[in-house]
Amino acid sequence: MPMKGRFPVRRTLQYLSQGDVVFKSSVKVMTVNYNTAGELSEGARKFVFFNIPQIQYKNPWVQIMLFRNMTPSPFLRFYLDNGEQVLVDVEDKTNKEITEHVKKILGKSKETLEKEERERKKLSHPATFGPKKYHLRECMCEIEGQVPCPAFVPLPKEMRGKYKAALKNEA
Amino acid sequence: PGPFPGLCPGWSPRAVPARGRKARQDPIAKSKAVRVKLPPPVDPEELLVVRERYRQHRLVLSALRAEFRAEMLQRKREERLAAEGSVEQLEEHRRLMAWNNEENARQQARREERLRKEEEEQKRKKLEISEKQARKMEAFLEEKEKEVLQLQEEAKNFITPENLEARIEECLDNPRNYNFAIDKDGRIVKRTVLS
Repeated sequence: MPMKGRFPVRRTLQYLSQGDVVFKSSVKVMTVNYNTAGELSEGARKFVFFNIPQIQYKNPWVQIMLFRNMTPSPFLRFYLDNGEQVLVDVEDKTNKEITEHVKKILGKSKETLEKEERERKKLSHPATFGPKKYHLRECMCEIEGQVPCPAFVPLPKEMRGKYKAALKNEA
Repeated sequence: PGPFPGLCPGWSPRAVPARGRKARQDPIAKSKAVRVKLPPPVDPEELLVVRERYRQHRLVLSALRAEFRAEMLQRKREERLAAEGSVEQLEEHRRLMAWNNEENARQQARREERLRKEEEEQKRKKLEISEKQARKMEAFLEEKEKEVLQLQEEAKNFITPENLEARIEECLDNPRNYNFAIDKDGRIVKRTVLS
């Protein structure tokens, strides 16, 4: 089965999860105005091609709009929920610089992300077991150090009910 | 058992039993033709007491639920506010926006610089082109001038009808010898004899 597109690696989950720009919750819309030709828009074009999928993956609730060949110079515009608009001029910048700039002004810092991660982990206890949706393990037999599942390793005689019943009957 | 206003359980003695194997239109069994189903007997006082107790219980429960719900919402709101609207965060945001504006200004400066340079470059190029053009024109004119002068010079030696005779006499008087000899080394000898 052939891969789709010019750089199919952009479609892989590993690539997408490597994006490190997570917007603050006040950012609602991101607009990119760029040109399809010209040296100065090269960075913006690369940004749109390589980095926007990563950003959208990490921020599924942010609306991203692209406008081509509408203005002579490329720029980014962010619309926050308090009505504020943030303009970022990206003429003559590489796509890496653009991502760094955006991350600095509107991205959640590493500490915030780590804090959120810790909060999320607090909600669920890793030692419990139950349905796969909520826990890591389904049965006690999967936990290290516990009695293995009798489906794979038969229980010793002494633990089996029929042996114990037989013993009781004998006695 | 009888219909008491306000205490009637909403039943009435039914002449027809509930559905089962038979359809609505099927005849009733002979043994059940005289059966009259009555609702279970209800003690009015007990009913009142039980109703009152249930009412209070449900009231208390729903009040508790509403209370807990409000508490949870309040907590969530406070958390959100604390996470997003604190003073330091606003300060931070303002600082970052200021930095962004500075960055934009720097970019603007760079752009103006670049545009200025490009304009200068263009002007310089234009000047060069016009200069080259001027030089070409000059050279051309000079060439033409030279040709005209040369022609003028040669015009002095033209043969006109007036000095035709004189020139013919002159040519006949001075015979020119165009013969020459050349050897394989390329040396030219012009001392051949005119016959």
